Amino acid sequence: MLDVEGVSRSFGGVYAVQNVSLSVAEGEVRAIIGPNGAGKSTLFNLVGGHLTADSGTITYSGRPIDGASAHRRAHDGIATVFQGARIFRGMTARENVMVGAQPWTRHGFVAAALRLPRHRSEERAIREQAEHALERVGLADWADREAESLPLGQQRRLQVARALCSQPRLLLLDEPASGLRAGERTALAELIEDLRAGGLTMLLIEHDVRFVARLADRVTVLDLGQVIAEGTPQEVTSDKRVIKAYIGDEDEHARGH
Amino acid sequence: MTAEVGTVRTVRRRPDAQRAVGLGLGALVAVLTLLAPLVLDRSQLTVYILTGTAAMVTIGVSLLMGYAGQVSLGQAAYYAVGGYTAGLLAVHGTPPLLGLLAAPLVAGGLAGLVGIPILRLRGHYLAFATLAFQLILLAIVGQVDFLGGDIGLQGIPQLSLLGIQLMTAQAYAWVTWVGVAVVLLITRNIIASRPGRGLRALATSETAAESSGVPVTRYKIVVFALSAAFAGLAGGIYAFFIGYLAPGSFPVLLSFQFIVMAVVGGLGTLWGPVVGAVVITLIVQTLNDLGTRPGMPSYASGVFSYAVYAILLVVVLLFLPRGLLPAMADLVRRAFGRGRRAPAAAGTAVTVDDSTTRQPPDSP
Ligand SMILES: Nc1ncnc2c1ncn2[C@@H]1O[C@H](COP(=O)(O)OP(=O)(O)OP(=O)(O)O)[C@@H](O)[C@H]1O
Ligand SMILES: [Mg+2]
Repeated sequence: MLDVEGVSRSFGGVYAVQNVSLSVAEGEVRAIIGPNGAGKSTLFNLVGGHLTADSGTITYSGRPIDGASAHRRAHDGIATVFQGARIFRGMTARENVMVGAQPWTRHGFVAAALRLPRHRSEERAIREQAEHALERVGLADWADREAESLPLGQQRRLQVARALCSQPRLLLLDEPASGLRAGERTALAELIEDLRAGGLTMLLIEHDVRFVARLADRVTVLDLGQVIAEGTPQEVTSDKRVIKAYIGDEDEHARGH
Repeated sequence: MTAEVGTVRTVRRRPDAQRAVGLGLGALVAVLTLLAPLVLDRSQLTVYILTGTAAMVTIGVSLLMGYAGQVSLGQAAYYAVGGYTAGLLAVHGTPPLLGLLAAPLVAGGLAGLVGIPILRLRGHYLAFATLAFQLILLAIVGQVDFLGGDIGLQGIPQLSLLGIQLMTAQAYAWVTWVGVAVVLLITRNIIASRPGRGLRALATSETAAESSGVPVTRYKIVVFALSAAFAGLAGGIYAFFIGYLAPGSFPVLLSFQFIVMAVVGGLGTLWGPVVGAVVITLIVQTLNDLGTRPGMPSYASGVFSYAVYAILLVVVLLFLPRGLLPAMADLVRRAFGRGRRAPAAAGTAVTVDDSTTRQPPDSP
C-alpha cells in the first residue's frame, strides 16, 4: 500500500532522512522507532506531503504521490496525527474533529452560505461521524468544550479523533502515546488494536518499545536518518545495532537534549 | 446548528432558554434598527448609513482576520473598488441596481486575483502588501481620467430599486442595514460550516489544516475575496448615497478604522464588528462635534479622530483583549451566575503562530 523508495531529505548540512526505503502492506501496522533526531518525523512529513524529498519516490496505492499536495494526500486517505498537541484554537473539541471530515465531503462556500441541501445533508453526516470518532477516543463528554481548554492528554486524543473522522486508509501516528497517563495509554493501545482488527493500515512512531511490541506487525528502526534494522518486534529488540543506537540516545538525553 | 458558534463561543451548548433570549434580543435589535430611520434627522441619518457601511466592511475584516487569521490593512481599497464600480457603471447609464450588484463582484474578483500572489505572505508581510495595494490603487485612480482623477467622479445618479428611485436618506438607511443583515447572515452560515471550520483551522496551523484535507491556499483566497466583496457592497451603497467619489474618500486611515472597529468590537465574533462600528462612529462623532465648537483650534477635530483610534485600540487591547462584545457577554453571564468565563478565544490572535508551514510541524 505504501512504498518508500530511496528517499532522502536534508536540512542544510543535516541529513535528516538518508536513502530510506520501506514497504508497508495493506492492513499492516508498522512501527518506526529510533532515538531523538533519527528522522522519524521527517519521514512522516515526507509521506504526508508537508516536506518534499530531495530524491527518491513515494508510492501510495500503486501511484507515485511525490508531486501531490498535503491536502490532496489527505483526500486520498492519508491522515496524520502529529507529534505534540496540534489542536485548532478557538474551536470546540467537536469542531476540531469535524475539520477531519474534509476529505470525504465536498460542499464549499456557496452551498454553506446559502444553506443548500447539500450543506445540510453533509453537515448531518459530518456530525455523526465526529460524534462516533469522539466516542472512540473517549471524548464524547468533552465534545463541546473549547479544545484549547482540554488537558494535554485529551488534546492528543482529540487529534486521533480528528484523524479517524477523515475515514483514513493510511494512518500516521507520531508518538500518539506521549503525554498520556497509564490508563490513557492502555485505552489508546486498545483503540489501535481495534483499528487494526478493522483492517486499517498504520505507521506508528513510538519510543516505548513495549508499547510497540504489542501493537506492531513489523518494526523499522531509524538512526541518523538511515534504516538500521527491520523485522518483527522480537527480531528488532535483540539486534545489537538497535541496542547501541538506543544507548546513544540515552547519552543525548543526559546532555540535555 | 448555531449553538456552538454564536456571537460568543459558548463553552456548553446554549440552553433553550438562553437561545430564546438571544433570538428575542436579535429580533428587538432588528426592529429598532429598521425603526430608527423614522426618528433620525437628516444629518443623523447620514451617520447612521455610514455606520452601516462601515459595519459591513468590518464584518468582513472580522471574518478575514478573526476567523481565518489573515491580516489586511487595505480593506478600504475594496470599499473604493466597489464604490467606483457602481459609480462608473451608473454614470454611463447602467441601471443602478446592476451597478450595485457588480460592486461586490468586481471587488471580490479583484481581491481574488490580488490574493493569489500576496496570500503566500504571512503576518507583517501580508499586512504591508495589502496596505501597499491600497496605496497603489489610490495613486492609479488619481491618474485615470475616466475615473475622475484626483478631482473625483461626479454626478452619480440615485439608486433605484424595482423602478423606485431612492430619494430619501431614510430609504438609503433601510437598504444599508438590510445589506448589513445579509452580510451577517452569510458570515454566520459560513463560520459554522465545512469551509468555515477549514478557515478557522488554518488560522491556527496551516500544516495541520492541510493534513486534515483543507485546501489552505484556495480557502485563503476565497475568504479574502469574500471580505472584499462585503467591502465592495458597502462601497456601492456609499457611492449612490454620496453621489461623488474621489481617491481622498478612501484614505489608509479608513482601513485602519475598520480594523479598530473590528478589534474594539471583538475580532472573530459575528456581532462584534457591528458593535465596534457603532461605538467608534458614535465616539468619533461626539469628538468631532466637540472639536468644531467655537473656540477650538481648527485642527482639533482632525486630531481628535486620529487620537481616538489610537487610544481606543490601546485601551481595548490592554483591558479587553477579546473586544467589547465578548467582554459584555461575559459580564452578562456572570451577572446571571451562569457558567464559567469562556477561555481566551483565538479570535484575537491575529498572529499566525505557524509561520513556517513548510517546515515539519514539530521542528524544534
Ligand atoms: N525544519 C527543519 N530544519 C532543520 N533541521 C530539521 C528540520 N526538521 C528536522 N530537522 C533535523 O532533522 C533531524 C531529524 O529530525 P526529526 O524531527 O525527523 O527526528 P525524530 O526522529 O522525529 O526525533 P524525535 O524523536 O525527537 O521526534 C534532526 O537532526 C532535526 O534537527
Ligand atoms: Mg519526531
